[in-house]
Amino acid sequence: MDDIAGARVAVVTGAASGIGAATVTELSQRGWTTVGLDLRPSTGAHHAVTLDVSDPAQVRAAICRIERELGPVEAAVCAAGHYAIVPLADIGWTEWLRMLRVHLGGLLNVCRAVVPGMVARGHGTIIGFTSDLAVGGSDGDVHYSAAKGTVIGLVRALAAELAPSGVRVNAIAPGPTDTPLLAPDSPWRRPSYVRMLPAGRLVSPEEVALSVAYLVEEGTFCVGEVLSPNSGSVI
Amino acid sequence: MAVALITGAADELGLAVARRLASEGHLVALSDLPRRERLETLHKLAAKLGGPGAALVVPADVADPEDVARMVAEVEERAGEPIGILVTVAGYLATAPFLRHDPDDWWRVVDTNLGGVFACAQAVLPGMAERGGGRMIFIASEWGVTGRAGATACSAAEAGIIAMAKSLGRELGQLGIAVNAIAPGVVDTSRLEADAREAGVTREVIRTRHAARVPLGRIAAPEEIAAAVAFLADPRMISMVGQVLHINGGTTRARG
Repeated sequence: MDDIAGARVAVVTGAASGIGAATVTELSQRGWTTVGLDLRPSTGAHHAVTLDVSDPAQVRAAICRIERELGPVEAAVCAAGHYAIVPLADIGWTEWLRMLRVHLGGLLNVCRAVVPGMVARGHGTIIGFTSDLAVGGSDGDVHYSAAKGTVIGLVRALAAELAPSGVRVNAIAPGPTDTPLLAPDSPWRRPSYVRMLPAGRLVSPEEVALSVAYLVEEGTFCVGEVLSPNSGSVI
Repeated sequence: MAVALITGAADELGLAVARRLASEGHLVALSDLPRRERLETLHKLAAKLGGPGAALVVPADVADPEDVARMVAEVEERAGEPIGILVTVAGYLATAPFLRHDPDDWWRVVDTNLGGVFACAQAVLPGMAERGGGRMIFIASEWGVTGRAGATACSAAEAGIIAMAKSLGRELGQLGIAVNAIAPGVVDTSRLEADAREAGVTREVIRTRHAARVPLGRIAAPEEIAAAVAFLADPRMISMVGQVLHINGGTTRARG
């Protein structure tokens, strides 16, 4: 994809696949210069940085380089994440920490790197990714739900803190989305479950990307809001 | 593209919604109370949007279910197809301290605001189901989420609209009909004039007063609410079902 000179820069974490990949496609189509941050190469983005979002130093270095070479980051979308269904008794401390460091830490690290510039410029927007499982909770999802729940808390507080500076912070809480995050044998793919959803089907990554695009480009009065494209899983 | 019925279309918020949906290629049916100045506003907008064929003007009182049914039948007949998008903006605003609110007026608020949405949803549903899907977008209010002193009737009605969007979302999702609500904060419309007159100050002063309690430091432009309507009306968005979009500059921040 061709880089557009002078286009606004959007950074998307988790951009190598699923929701993050759909987001870079949607934003690129809308004329943004997209930069994908992921453990694996983000092949759909204009630029890709391979890194671990849970590492503050790597994220800070990447954002510094992006702003130096491409210009100020106008939009930061934090979609990087991983998922596992594990009963409480079987969650190891390492897995617990990893879940928090990736979801909450990934958002925190990006925010700490992009917020100073956004505040100085008086505009910019950040989107965190939470989940219907944070809003509704579910069996076997203790560490994932807890980690995604923290995202809502951070977004609410940071939204209040940064709104007077003109920087908008919001979140998206997708329901079960048809991405590699849902294993082929995931219970969220079972026909008996999908039939129960009010929309009768899984969420598509493109719908989540449209939600991102709405919040970034047109949700100019949305602050601390959580959008829930979830097929009705949690209402 | 679809036929989009917009109630309360003569209000600045309704006008913004109509303009936005028309710009996306929908045929808009503009409804408001059959009062002369409102009809003039609707006809003026319809003419601007391209005259007959691009916009219909269909006055009705949403508080009267029979009138609503007649209006919907008229839209379907004149458009030659069922309504695909319903946007309910119409509302009657009256506030008073709880014990001083005249019961008849109290019920008029509920029966116009909540009853109007019920009547519209019921009237458009058969056609929407027949065409294989659609969108219902109910404009509620922040008051339905946070409550407001002196606005028990409005708050009850708006909270009812939100709850109805959730239940109807569940009920109609499998038919391909996505039902959602939008709960705006204070929007910069002529309603502020009434507040200003009541308080004996200018609209600008009222704007500033409202803006002071909004984290973003301002109130909403009607176009920002219209953008949320367009997002929910997007034919590609099926997975937003039974949700509430809080477009309020950060006053509630995902409270409910």
